[in-house]
Amino acid sequence: MEFRPILSSLLRNKTGPILVAMQVALSLAILANALHVVNERRTVAARPSGMQDETAVFHLAVRSLKKDAPEQMLADIKRELDALRAVPGVVAVSQVSQMPLSRSGNSSSISIDRRQQRESMAASTYSADEALVKTLGLKLIEGRDFQPHEVIDVDETKSQQRPGIAIISKPMGDKLWPGESAVGKTFYFGSGDGAEGVQVIGVVERLQTAHALIGDEGEFSVIEPTRLYGLPGNMYAVRAETGQRDRVMKEAEAALRQSSATPMLLQARTTEDDRQRRYRADVSLSWMLLTVSVLLLLVTCSGIVGMASLWVTQRRKQIGVRRALGARKVDILRYFILENVMITSSGVVGGVLLGVGLNHLLVSKLEMTRLPLVYLVGGAFLFWAIGIVASYGPAWRAASTSPAMATRST
Amino acid sequence: MLRMTNLSKVYRTHMIETHALRGFEIHVSQGEFVTVTGPSGSGKTSFLNIAGLLEEFTSGEYVLDGVNVQGLDDAARSRLRNEKLGFIFQGFNLIPDLNLFDNVDVPLRYRGFNARERKERIEDALAKVGLASRMKHYPAELSGGQQQRVAIARALAGSPKLLLADEPTGNLDTQMARGVMELLEEINAAGTTILMVTHDPELAVRSQRNVHIIDGQVSDLVRRAPSLVGDHDHAQATA
Amino acid sequence: MFGYYFKLGVRSLRRNRYLTTLMVLTLAIGVAASVSTLTILHVMSGDPIPSKSDRLFVPQFDIGQKEGYIPGADSQDLQMTYQDAVNLLRSGQGERRTAVYGIRLPVEPPRIDIPAFSAVGLAPTSDFFAMFDVPFLHGQAWTEQDDARRANVAVLGREVAEKLFGTANPVGQSLRLGGQPFTVVGVMDNWAPVSRYYKIVGGGRAPSGEEIMVPFSTATGQELGVYGSLSCSSALEPGFAGILASECTWIQFWFETRSSLDRAELQSFIDNYASEQRKLGRMQRAAPNVLYNVMEWMEKQKVVGNDTKLSAWLAFGFLVLCLVNTIGLLLAKFSVRASEVGIRRALGASRRDIFGQFVVESGVIGLAGGVMGLLLAFGALALIGMQSDATAAAARMDWQMLALTFLMSVAAAVVAGLLPTWRACQVTPAIQLKSQ
Repeated sequence: MEFRPILSSLLRNKTGPILVAMQVALSLAILANALHVVNERRTVAARPSGMQDETAVFHLAVRSLKKDAPEQMLADIKRELDALRAVPGVVAVSQVSQMPLSRSGNSSSISIDRRQQRESMAASTYSADEALVKTLGLKLIEGRDFQPHEVIDVDETKSQQRPGIAIISKPMGDKLWPGESAVGKTFYFGSGDGAEGVQVIGVVERLQTAHALIGDEGEFSVIEPTRLYGLPGNMYAVRAETGQRDRVMKEAEAALRQSSATPMLLQARTTEDDRQRRYRADVSLSWMLLTVSVLLLLVTCSGIVGMASLWVTQRRKQIGVRRALGARKVDILRYFILENVMITSSGVVGGVLLGVGLNHLLVSKLEMTRLPLVYLVGGAFLFWAIGIVASYGPAWRAASTSPAMATRST
Repeated sequence: MLRMTNLSKVYRTHMIETHALRGFEIHVSQGEFVTVTGPSGSGKTSFLNIAGLLEEFTSGEYVLDGVNVQGLDDAARSRLRNEKLGFIFQGFNLIPDLNLFDNVDVPLRYRGFNARERKERIEDALAKVGLASRMKHYPAELSGGQQQRVAIARALAGSPKLLLADEPTGNLDTQMARGVMELLEEINAAGTTILMVTHDPELAVRSQRNVHIIDGQVSDLVRRAPSLVGDHDHAQATA
Repeated sequence: MFGYYFKLGVRSLRRNRYLTTLMVLTLAIGVAASVSTLTILHVMSGDPIPSKSDRLFVPQFDIGQKEGYIPGADSQDLQMTYQDAVNLLRSGQGERRTAVYGIRLPVEPPRIDIPAFSAVGLAPTSDFFAMFDVPFLHGQAWTEQDDARRANVAVLGREVAEKLFGTANPVGQSLRLGGQPFTVVGVMDNWAPVSRYYKIVGGGRAPSGEEIMVPFSTATGQELGVYGSLSCSSALEPGFAGILASECTWIQFWFETRSSLDRAELQSFIDNYASEQRKLGRMQRAAPNVLYNVMEWMEKQKVVGNDTKLSAWLAFGFLVLCLVNTIGLLLAKFSVRASEVGIRRALGASRRDIFGQFVVESGVIGLAGGVMGLLLAFGALALIGMQSDATAAAARMDWQMLALTFLMSVAAAVVAGLLPTWRACQVTPAIQLKSQ
């Protein structure tokens, strides 16, 4: 392996090699960071909401145009629920105060001891009737679901009564009572003497909050068996039979309109749509980063190939001389590939350093996360491979140079 | 027209000094046709480069058409080169991307003529070499002899005082070479001074005057009789 | 000579198709990516109201409970309580002031053939319109007296007005909002700043702008629910009245001062107000009270998200890569022309002439790159615009961006071409062309 002569010849004609090495370094640094971000975002967007078969679920937001007394509103809710249940293809219906991934919901302070000064966590509360677990398709892993008689009706304009029992998500249980079963335990909304105690009767494996924020924040949820009424506007979650969602949605809308004498405003939205909206920014950023990554590779590749081709052309005579002096084709091939690998390697080293530096900058200025080493290592191997593959063509052309070039004068 | 006095050219690379020309003296008058001969390594190429203001010299004096070139900067030398000199190379050296018209046009552009004047000169020059009809063709479409004629047209278009030719017939067969030489003699007869480097003894014979260079110095021989071989030995003896 | 060099440059482009396309394409992609992300960044972080952005202020108090408070922690309250809003409105401090919260109302059109729909808008006080330079197509804002007597008046957004009343002037017409009859007093002209900086916390806005505006007092009087963020750090009574009496924050407040120099005066005012409130047992945290002007508020609310900044950084890194790549390609391109340079020098071109020729040639490549880059930029904008409504609004091509694309492309090409051009100038005017 003729490292030293190649190195000294490269050092004598530095410009081209430096340009190629710079391109490799830049590409590697950007690519490693970009792919890291893509992976992170993809992971975030792929998080399960806790709902089984999301594509079968949709929700309807209803608002009557007539201002009724709260008691009338409660009767309307019950009538609307009946109307919805009657629609063919409906598996389950539940009245609910918010929907996962919908980006519209509440958040409450939770503590496990009234005397706590600081909250244990913030959780999101779903106020719904006994059918929510079934409607959303949540997986109950501990304890039990609500009974119909446990659901209390609460007039929001007058009362803040709480049912005193709740189903919580497992991540929430694990955080509040690590290592123990949450069933039977009590937590409080807020703290202080007036804080309401709530007993856990069941745990679902997972239920994301309405905002589905990243990290733990998005996984702490509480379901309370409460039928809220009195304020204008209601929401119903509906699960349709698999594959029937769109039809059922249309018929459900029609059924609701028919069930009421007064006109109403209706907005139907699928959970699939909610998910798409929630992760819209993440997905489109991912696509952008992927596009740029592909372009990066293409540009760098073309740079390597171009430079290699140029050198081969410039050194035609020299190659001919080598061949005339006894070098075989494979020797020439090896020479050029080795030369390119050396250049690419220096680029890779630079790229790793640059990549780490770039990541530092991103972490400190843009709140990104640290780059795992695997991206840099993987990237290094990728560019080595690209260097070899890209230089193969020109190296092959070089190797095919006829020894007669030695004697030809231009 | 061209006078070099006590000129020397030294090439320095790393630790090695090469004296290409030493104590070089030459005086060419207006209207002369001078051939320059000499063995390889004698310095005739260096002489032509310096005469053509393509290279600088180490010491001595060079006056071209009344202008002392000592101390002129690159821009001034380029101007001088552009206005007073014309070049004809062995390898034609036309620009392959440009057609004949545009090739002849190149030196005129640096001269600053306006479009109409340039057009006139180009058409005249190409007509003089007999290629006016192929103005829009590209060099690749022409034979060697024709390409050299275009190069001559390019050299002439700016009405130079001095024409420098480096082996102009080197790449041509006998027939074409004769054609080119006839053309050069015509041009000389019309008043242009010509300085031509050549290997070909027959051509050296045809000229009015031959300057022979050996080891960087001039061995000046005025030729009347066509007998090369003997003179060559004579040159060796006087060096 | 420039024309000559330009012609040579164009001709040179056509000669070597493969190399040229590669160069132009590489440059174009880099420029397109940079210009498009730069535009979005610029539009989103741009000053939405440059004439007065330094004299509109958001006051922030810390209403939170004393228990569990660590001094120095950021206030969780980005908006204001009803009590404080009313007090500050009454104070008369500053040139103008306004309290605003988000609402969402069912609109029952006067014509039966148009079905009822939901409109998203704001409930501000009358000064809002003057403070934020809201343009009017028809009519005008309601008056202070309307505010005081909780009048059932409304200002419509242009799109909604056209939907309900066509192009006719609807001032004076009546329509039902939230089941109540309202009179239209004005219609806003197109007003949809890229970011909703005047009410940024919580809730979305229709892309075409605010659809409906009713007076703050009217909205609270009719108990119109908060369409936005409501944050309560202590207990409250049920019902809307409970919200009004509580320490929940849900109202955005703005002061306008006569000049930016009045900031200090405004600061001492809110400090005094806060200490007065402390005597009443509120604001027990005694945290610093902060004023934000428009740009500071946008900065605090992270209007230009990290994603947008990341995109811009990335695009620039990519442009640098394309530049380096172009330098290599130009080196290749110009080095092949060494013999041409030698000939030209022999024929009388000075180094300056050669420099000029190749700089112009680089520029021509830049121009071609600009054209291609422009086409690609359209695509890039579409891609980036998908990230959110805000970026979609900012992802628009205007004359400035057009010019920037060409400028950047030519500049990039010329810069990339400097080294290769310098190299080209070094070629000696060689008569030794035969002995290469």
